[in-house]
Amino acid sequence: MSEKKPGVYLCKGCGIADAVDVGALEKVGKNEFRIGHCVVSDALCSPESVASMQKDVADGAVNRMVVGACSPRVMAEKFRFDGVPVVRANLREQVAWSQPAHEEDTEMLAADSIRMAAAQLAKTQQPTPAALGEVSRTILVVGGGVTGLTAALEAAQSGYDALVVEKSDALGGWSSKWPMRAPHAPPYRDIYGNDIEALIAKVKANGRVRILTNATVAKTSGQPGAFDVVISHGGQDVTEKVGAIVVATGWRPYDATKLTHLGYGASPDVVTGIEFEAMLAKGAPVKPSNGAPVKTIAFVQCAGSRDPNHLPYCSSVCCTASIKQALQVVKGDQDAMAYIVYEELRTPGTAEEFYREAQRNGVVFMKGKATSVDGKAMTVSYSDELLGQEVPLGGLDLIVLATGMVPNSTNVDAPAAADPEKDKAQLTDDINPVAPIAVAGYAKGEGTPWPHIDKGIPPGGPILNLQYRQGPHIPILADGFSDSHYICFPYETRRTGIYTAGPVRRPMDMAESAEDATGAVLKAIQALEGGAVGAAVHPRVGDLTYPKIGHEKCTKCRRCTVECPFGAIDEDEQGRPVVNFARCRRCGTCMGACPVQTITFDNYNPQMVNDMIEANEIPDEFSEKPRILVLACENDAYPAIDMAGIARSHWSPFVRIVPVRCLGSVTLQWVSTALQKGYDGIMLMGCKSGDDYQCHFVKGSALAKERLSKVGETLKSLALEQERITFEEMSIADSCRAPTVLDAFAKLIGDLPPNPMKGF
Amino acid sequence: MTTPAPAAGKTYDLSFARWVRDNINGGDKLNLCMQCGACSGSCPIGVQMDYGPRKLFMMIRAGMKEEVLSANTQWNCTSCYRCVVRCPRGVPVTYILQDLAAKSAEFGYAKGPHENKNFAQSFWWSAATFGRTDERLVTMRYFFSLGLGEGFKRAMANLKVALGMVKTGRMHIGLPHMTKGRKGLKAILAKAREIEARH
Repeated sequence: MSEKKPGVYLCKGCGIADAVDVGALEKVGKNEFRIGHCVVSDALCSPESVASMQKDVADGAVNRMVVGACSPRVMAEKFRFDGVPVVRANLREQVAWSQPAHEEDTEMLAADSIRMAAAQLAKTQQPTPAALGEVSRTILVVGGGVTGLTAALEAAQSGYDALVVEKSDALGGWSSKWPMRAPHAPPYRDIYGNDIEALIAKVKANGRVRILTNATVAKTSGQPGAFDVVISHGGQDVTEKVGAIVVATGWRPYDATKLTHLGYGASPDVVTGIEFEAMLAKGAPVKPSNGAPVKTIAFVQCAGSRDPNHLPYCSSVCCTASIKQALQVVKGDQDAMAYIVYEELRTPGTAEEFYREAQRNGVVFMKGKATSVDGKAMTVSYSDELLGQEVPLGGLDLIVLATGMVPNSTNVDAPAAADPEKDKAQLTDDINPVAPIAVAGYAKGEGTPWPHIDKGIPPGGPILNLQYRQGPHIPILADGFSDSHYICFPYETRRTGIYTAGPVRRPMDMAESAEDATGAVLKAIQALEGGAVGAAVHPRVGDLTYPKIGHEKCTKCRRCTVECPFGAIDEDEQGRPVVNFARCRRCGTCMGACPVQTITFDNYNPQMVNDMIEANEIPDEFSEKPRILVLACENDAYPAIDMAGIARSHWSPFVRIVPVRCLGSVTLQWVSTALQKGYDGIMLMGCKSGDDYQCHFVKGSALAKERLSKVGETLKSLALEQERITFEEMSIADSCRAPTVLDAFAKLIGDLPPNPMKGF
Repeated sequence: MTTPAPAAGKTYDLSFARWVRDNINGGDKLNLCMQCGACSGSCPIGVQMDYGPRKLFMMIRAGMKEEVLSANTQWNCTSCYRCVVRCPRGVPVTYILQDLAAKSAEFGYAKGPHENKNFAQSFWWSAATFGRTDERLVTMRYFFSLGLGEGFKRAMANLKVALGMVKTGRMHIGLPHMTKGRKGLKAILAKAREIEARH
């Protein structure tokens, strides 16, 4: 851009002019920042005002602007002008609506908002995207079960090519193994024939879908839009270019041989649900021991599931599956008697009518935990919660153990890694647990603070064998399922452009899997199209910036390559970081990690926030006006504060809030700048970390917490109180708590003596 | 489908739930019970029952045949129908209890002097014989069915009440109340027995 022509636009509407002196704010822009073009409007979002702003841009009077009005979270479309960086000063939610009108402190806060915005604008550039241009519009689908088949079909129907890689010799997966299905359409009542063959035929008939059976993925490199995938097929390796990957590797039943306490193995008449499906496929079930017809059958639910010694989670599908099997039994033979022993009947979806249908047909439901199964006497004993006593169900012909689902997060047939410890670290928590060399805040060889997962490390090798710096795996959660947020961003894995769908993500049935596959394919399409134009995917959808690494300053410390939650940064032969732009989610965790602050984004960089922190006026130590810096995560904490403002809650006027992309992007340099500038307290406000994290960038808030734990020593060396710096978890639903938290911290800081660095 | 009556001796008889389903009036709806307990909570004399209807139904499912058939629950039911009205799953609780009582008497679970059974039988004798219930005859038959000594004891204990009722015109002296067409009634009952015997 040639000459920088900034403009300041101030709004008087929505109560702003009733609370602050907008004329004084105009003077801040004019006198302090020497921005000649300052405009005050009664309502900046009105069509006339927007048109006049547009005219200023068209006339060349302004090519970058500060908009002092409402929160950046609203009206973003109105204040968007092509090629013009716009910085918003939040005068409405966080000043006018949350502070007493026309008080000195309110005016100071408003002026500081303008100062921060002007400082931010000075360091903001219009982003130049790192676009791949030509991308592959083929979607690789790993797995040919109901999820994979649906994914391939949906991709083809959306105008993209699909390549299905199936390990076995046939399509259909587990779904093809049972004759009947539980209902998934109105009236949600009865079982009906499995229609998987029709789906297979439809996929095979589609010209856009290529299918490779007896094939596995040997190697994957590249990034969304341009993955290079080596597929082992028929004894040789073929290289394919694909744009995005849907991993639908599905599940396998829990190993029933571990369930000896439930009688498995004691008698051929104790079978698993999967084995029983095979019996049903052959016709009326008979006793495996002597071939006599099955007249009395008991289903034992939660066989190994919800058991800390086996699968700690609920497998979600077994209750519906057992109801289905029981219905098949009693409908097939009017004399047969089916018992279902359950702890809680969990049938997600619309299964109430299905459950009732089973009751109408005489299936007996017994509520209680199965305590023992005697395979010899064919007796299931359970503690009946409704009778309050131990009940033995004796003389059964067949006992069916409803075993749970284990995700295929790895390829069990592939050889295991040579270094199991490293493999485990990469699979469960790919942030290298040990600092490779001593860098700021870390001593050499120091481990990460979060606990490591000891259970549920799946056997075998990686599915995709990613050629990433952070290892070949798609990282998993504690239960072995792929790491994603079940509610907020279900399909996202920690490897951009690679989406898991179906039971590898969480236990689900055929109908849910098909729906999941559809969602994952749409995400895959977004990822490859985003790669083409250099736009980010979730959660910074459409963001065109990307991390730029200043190689002349880089010390090759590898913190960025180690800490990137998405494995976006690789290393070249000399150990220098190489960003794969399309893999990047733009969280800035690398920026926060960099000890020399040489990683920058066009509109977000260490110097910019540094300048914003320094732009605020710090009253001297005798004024009794402390200053508190809040670095708030813009995904959750910042909206929570905004919403508190919308609710007209008031909080301390000494708080200065700087939004950050993620707490992971917070560099300790900012903390030190703030302390030297004379801020009395600093609060990092972000998402919940840990196993049940809410961080949109998975590890950002955990890393921030970790880094913050290192500043205690620094504070001590400056003879400052440790309480001056704090970390607060704030979810978007916590808006009613936000003012209380801010006020409590302001009180704590107010009780401390002022920061002695003031005025230096 | 007919299933033979449950065999005595086993504590948990898995065929009992099936037998109830096939042989007890309303038993086919018993599986719909979701154990909410609205029936037991609504029952005005639930406190006098060994088990409330909810628990009794769960016991049927668990195959606790002996306990179910010898329980007093089905005998204490007054047929107020509160449970039937309130059952969210439409289980005809009262019918099931009435038929369970009949079947437990039939299979000899209400042996010897059994207050509820004997009272029911006295009541039914009066209704079947006269077409009406006569307080004096029902009471006397009931008292003496419990034994000669017990009958005298109870009759004497209630003498004052009876005389008081006579005095205030609440109980009459003379022939018992009767319906007019007793011949017809007898024919109806005979036909009913014949139909019942067919099954």
